[in-house]
Amino acid sequence: MGDSTGEPGSSMHGVTGREQTFAFSVASPIVPTDKTAKFDLPVDSEHKATVFKLFSFAKPHMRTFHLSWISFSTCFVSTFAAAPLVPIIRENLNLTKQDIGNAGVASVSGSIFSRLVMGAVCDLLGPRYGCAFLVMLSAPTGFSMSFVHDAGGFITVRFMIGFCLATFVSCQCWMSTMFNSQIMGLVNGTAAGWGNMGGGITQLLMPIVYEIIRRCGQDLPDGNRSALEKKGEVAKDKFGKIMWYAVTNYRTWIFVLLYGYSMGVELSTDNVIAEYFFDRFHLKLHTAGIIAACFGMANFFARPAGGYASDLAARYFGMRGRLWALWIIQTLGGLFCVWLGRANTLVTAVVAMILFSLGAQAACGATFAIVPFVSRRALGIISGLTGAGGNFGSGLTQLIFFSTSRFTTEQGITWMGVMIVACTLPVTLIHFPQWGSMFLPPSKDPVKGTEEHYYASEWNEQEKEKNMHQGSLRFAENAKSEGGRRVRSGATPPGNTPNNV
Amino acid sequence: MAIHKIILASFLVYLMIQFSHGATKERLFSDLEKDALDVTAKPSRQGVLDAGIDKLSITWKLSSTAKKQANFKTIKVKLCYAPVSQVDRPWRKTENELFKDKTCPHKIITRAYNKSSQSFKYTLDRDIPTGTYFVRTYAVDAKDHEVAFGQSTNEAKTTNLFSVQAISGRHKSLDIASVCFSVFSVLALLVFFVNEKRKAKLEQSK
Repeated sequence: MGDSTGEPGSSMHGVTGREQTFAFSVASPIVPTDKTAKFDLPVDSEHKATVFKLFSFAKPHMRTFHLSWISFSTCFVSTFAAAPLVPIIRENLNLTKQDIGNAGVASVSGSIFSRLVMGAVCDLLGPRYGCAFLVMLSAPTGFSMSFVHDAGGFITVRFMIGFCLATFVSCQCWMSTMFNSQIMGLVNGTAAGWGNMGGGITQLLMPIVYEIIRRCGQDLPDGNRSALEKKGEVAKDKFGKIMWYAVTNYRTWIFVLLYGYSMGVELSTDNVIAEYFFDRFHLKLHTAGIIAACFGMANFFARPAGGYASDLAARYFGMRGRLWALWIIQTLGGLFCVWLGRANTLVTAVVAMILFSLGAQAACGATFAIVPFVSRRALGIISGLTGAGGNFGSGLTQLIFFSTSRFTTEQGITWMGVMIVACTLPVTLIHFPQWGSMFLPPSKDPVKGTEEHYYASEWNEQEKEKNMHQGSLRFAENAKSEGGRRVRSGATPPGNTPNNV
Repeated sequence: MAIHKIILASFLVYLMIQFSHGATKERLFSDLEKDALDVTAKPSRQGVLDAGIDKLSITWKLSSTAKKQANFKTIKVKLCYAPVSQVDRPWRKTENELFKDKTCPHKIITRAYNKSSQSFKYTLDRDIPTGTYFVRTYAVDAKDHEVAFGQSTNEAKTTNLFSVQAISGRHKSLDIASVCFSVFSVLALLVFFVNEKRKAKLEQSK
């Protein structure tokens, strides 16, 4: 590349005009490729992949991706398996509307706690163990549904099955350790979206299964966590510390609320939509299941699309773009939800439902495109808290609007839409000193306005002396692209081969 | 752009079909002739009946006060929920519009109309849910529209009700299979964990 001293104008990049430009790869020259690492995919300095190759099973990055979303999807199938069969179950067990509503609340409440625990487990033991233990220990809860004979049993078992939704946290954490933050929106969105799709698959699958019965995996890119800890390459952290940094960051709590009204409403809708279409439009169980499935299955592209939209907005406007994208998408979702509640014919209801699903699910994708940037040290716990917030929002919504005779289901859906719009407003308050917020620009302070300061501030002086904060500094370096276009157009750091843009 | 116009047009046409459908469905329960048939439903034994096992003796005949019997073509006998079984269960709600009414979802028998007294011995279907019931017979005309009805209870639906207990749906084989699969799941996890510990030890000793 001629004289590679990095002087402005010396780069030969772009001369041939044939460099690839799509956002399935990291776009900024600021993120240098680590040429010494031996992986199938190009990686950055933390050995996170900078390219997302969907149809590959390359070890460890893409393999992790596929294992992650598949295990998360099966958990979604289990948690919402009862929902499309409620018209049958409510007669078998002689349930009232309150019982059905309470069971729906229970199905999402169990994982409030388990997602918090999983967050801590991911930070301390790694997502692989967390996922394996959770999935294998939740399996017996699914089997115990066969022992249920009354409302109490039904509610209890749905509560226990719901614990496995914590695989969401392990899935997102795992993706955050394996992929560079610039493509984080797309990667997290695809993994979680395809996982959430399980909620749609189950609506199709369960009526079919019922008909038939009626007539018949490495934790981190460089290796497993315990081995790396023993070699001293990964710092063993303390629960109390990471909990403190998670809880004292106000952004965590805003995301907890927001996710409660993107993911939360998605979970609530998974629980009520099949029964709603069955009762309101006098459809067969099968047909109601198919329509309900469309809601969940939209996750296949809606959530990744939300993540991608966030990544795209970040390329031009940095973190501010991500925040605006999130607000716009989630508010639109809320408005379509109101429309769904007011729709009187089947066709308008289906159209409104699909648009609502796109809005809500894309908002979920856009949320987890931002969450990995809130903290580096406490990523697991913050993901866990946010995920738990989703479930809490779902439980609360189902309790208020869908468990009493005070609102008909269509009124409940309308009010749920109003709440979505209201609870999305706090995103305007999220401010990163180094990147700004929706209405405020980044801080001009030369020290406080840097990525290093933000991420290193999670470590105190003794920890910095032990160099425990090196991981955060590397992350800060790789996260500089969140400053948007003006940062990107800066000169290539000397000595590094610029990436294809 | 042409394809967009076609899609929009077909969408609008479909909407119009939907709206026009609504116009024909306004037949109301309150328009039907009340007590046109005298109906009795006698359970085979006292107490709560078991679905799939116990029987009901149902008889119906034309009432002396009936007026529209010239139109009667078929008699549909149905099992209906008493108000106590409809509380907090909006999917069983009584509505005046006949197509929306969910009071009587369970069909017992359909027979051609006959002036003389009719009877039927009904064994409760296995899928009847737990609840309190009465029997109603609808007299239907040649166009399959209800014209009159009679029921085994009074207008307030408080007398002559009977209770049914549904089947439990539990099987021993299912219970055993559940336990086996659960044990397998936990064992598989233990095997995985032990393997991991072994591998970590090997890595350390390297």
